[in-house]
Amino acid sequence: MVMRFFRSHEPASLEQVQSQFLQMLAHDRDAFDAATATLLSGGDPTSVGPTLRTTDAQVNELEREIRRELVVHASVHGARDIAAVLVYMSIVKDAERIGDYAKNIFDLAAGGVSFQEAPDRSRMMTHRDRVSNMITEAGTIFAADDQEAANLLLAEAEHMRDVYDELVDALVVSDGVARDAVPRALFYRHLKRITAHLANLLTAVVVPVDKLDYIDEPRDSAP
Amino acid sequence: MHRLPKVSGWPWELSAKLCSPMGVLALEQEHCVTQASPSSEGETRQSRATPALRTILVFGFLYLFLVGVSMLEAGIKAFGADFQADLLNGVEHPLAGLAAGVLATVLVQSSSVSTSTIVGLVGAGTLTIDAAVPMIMGANIGTTVTNTLVALGSARRNEEFRRAFAGATMHDFFNLMAVVVFLPLQVATDFLSRAAEGIAELLGGNVGGSTAKSPIKQAVKEPVGWIKDGVDSLTSSDEVLGGLLLGFGILVILLALTVITRNMRRLIASQIETGLNAIVARGGGLVGMFFGVLITIAVQSSSITTSILVPLIGSGVLAVRNAYPITLGANLGTTITALLASLAVDLQAGLVVALTHTLFNVAAIVTIYPVRRVRYVPVQLSERLAGLALDNRAYVMFYVAGLFVAVPLLGIAIFG
Repeated sequence: MVMRFFRSHEPASLEQVQSQFLQMLAHDRDAFDAATATLLSGGDPTSVGPTLRTTDAQVNELEREIRRELVVHASVHGARDIAAVLVYMSIVKDAERIGDYAKNIFDLAAGGVSFQEAPDRSRMMTHRDRVSNMITEAGTIFAADDQEAANLLLAEAEHMRDVYDELVDALVVSDGVARDAVPRALFYRHLKRITAHLANLLTAVVVPVDKLDYIDEPRDSAP
Repeated sequence: MHRLPKVSGWPWELSAKLCSPMGVLALEQEHCVTQASPSSEGETRQSRATPALRTILVFGFLYLFLVGVSMLEAGIKAFGADFQADLLNGVEHPLAGLAAGVLATVLVQSSSVSTSTIVGLVGAGTLTIDAAVPMIMGANIGTTVTNTLVALGSARRNEEFRRAFAGATMHDFFNLMAVVVFLPLQVATDFLSRAAEGIAELLGGNVGGSTAKSPIKQAVKEPVGWIKDGVDSLTSSDEVLGGLLLGFGILVILLALTVITRNMRRLIASQIETGLNAIVARGGGLVGMFFGVLITIAVQSSSITTSILVPLIGSGVLAVRNAYPITLGANLGTTITALLASLAVDLQAGLVVALTHTLFNVAAIVTIYPVRRVRYVPVQLSERLAGLALDNRAYVMFYVAGLFVAVPLLGIAIFG
């Protein structure tokens, strides 16, 4: 085992961290798809629940593993990659939170909510499909360090958050019954939070470390 | 946006380009080139050459290190017999030698430098093996000051400090235990140096004082001869000649080891990281010990190995008990420098002292590590000390100043 360390051509640690980070996002998307399928397409919560919990545990373990590896990396290399280490330390939390929101969506279905027959199901499906794809797109853009694509997706995410705010605001003042309005408000709220966390991790591509997460400020103000 | 500027440093520290996390991911992180960079082809060529250049640099400075040891040896010889007798009188008592070894190592913060110097002194016939062995043991203790100082960086964060200080001082306690057990035995029986003599004879040397010949020595002696002739032509004083050669020798040793250590650390950083990640995930044990040996042999400094561990222990990522075998491995691995130094000296006694250093550390591990109850005594002592230090930081000051400065000074004053 020891000699293997010296002969190994394994990817260096930050590459390993990136691969684990992308794996977290892949788990997030799986969890999101499973949770929304239960809520929107009548999936069985009792069969999806255990899978979702296993995926959530994997995401949490990957988060801890990445943090440990980042501490090791910083100890070995000193300040050399400090910006990258701090970026990962921050965005790994975003990836973990996306998994949590997927679980929150599932909790709606587990609590008896189903939008399978809802008149506005197709709109919800459209948003669901877009957010699901955005999880993968964000990972791809992050890995490719594609600033142009990141800016485009950030702009779309900003627009989507405004849309979700409007939808929630409309539900808050609607005359509909609570059992119709509240689950929808929660669903859109969760989509908004997932979009916000995706935007947070994309800021790592376009702004310096100190500006991470500050996506509401004009991006051209970055020095 | 996270692209960082090129690092400027010493001319022999080849610059490494720092990149964004994403750029890092694309290529080897040591010398990454962002995909979008128009000049990336040229930079890639340069970065690919870097490990090869570093390797050449390491071998070049390894040769310079041997030249330094040889220069030091020549300087001591030039001082004459009186100087040698005075030096020997000062450290004849084993406890004075032990104290001198601790102090010298604390001063240069490197057991590699102090043990190489001791090997040079023995190789020149200035120090006897009996006088040198306690000094070598003292160097083992003195070298632990570096990671103890690293642990002080966490002094403001209580829990982190408790872990980091325990992780740093377990090395001290292990070495103190080893000295308490083996110094009296060595003084009484010479068992370590006799075993080392046996091995040196097996390796083909005549330990009884004769000059050993080897191509390495010839290659090293030649430039020393030129320098000696040059200085000789400027002065007729043996003291000036000896002083200059001695001073240059120590300077060259320090410089060479610094460059070797820095470049080797960069060269094998990925392997260190991979190994540490595996140990963090699965625990240490004997694999950790081998890892410590190999890494320390590669970087030629136990302080580098143990100082990397301290922040990991402090952050809680690596348990003190998992770091412990790596530390013991580092203790053993660092003996390689004295063995290398012995290649450059005249007398086989230099090799005997270097081998004694290795045997002392092997004996300490073999005695202390196998029995579980004994194995963790240094860890338990260090955790107790860390607890005390957490309650009252004055203990830290007393401990560091006492163990590494006051007690050795007292030892020299009383026994020297």
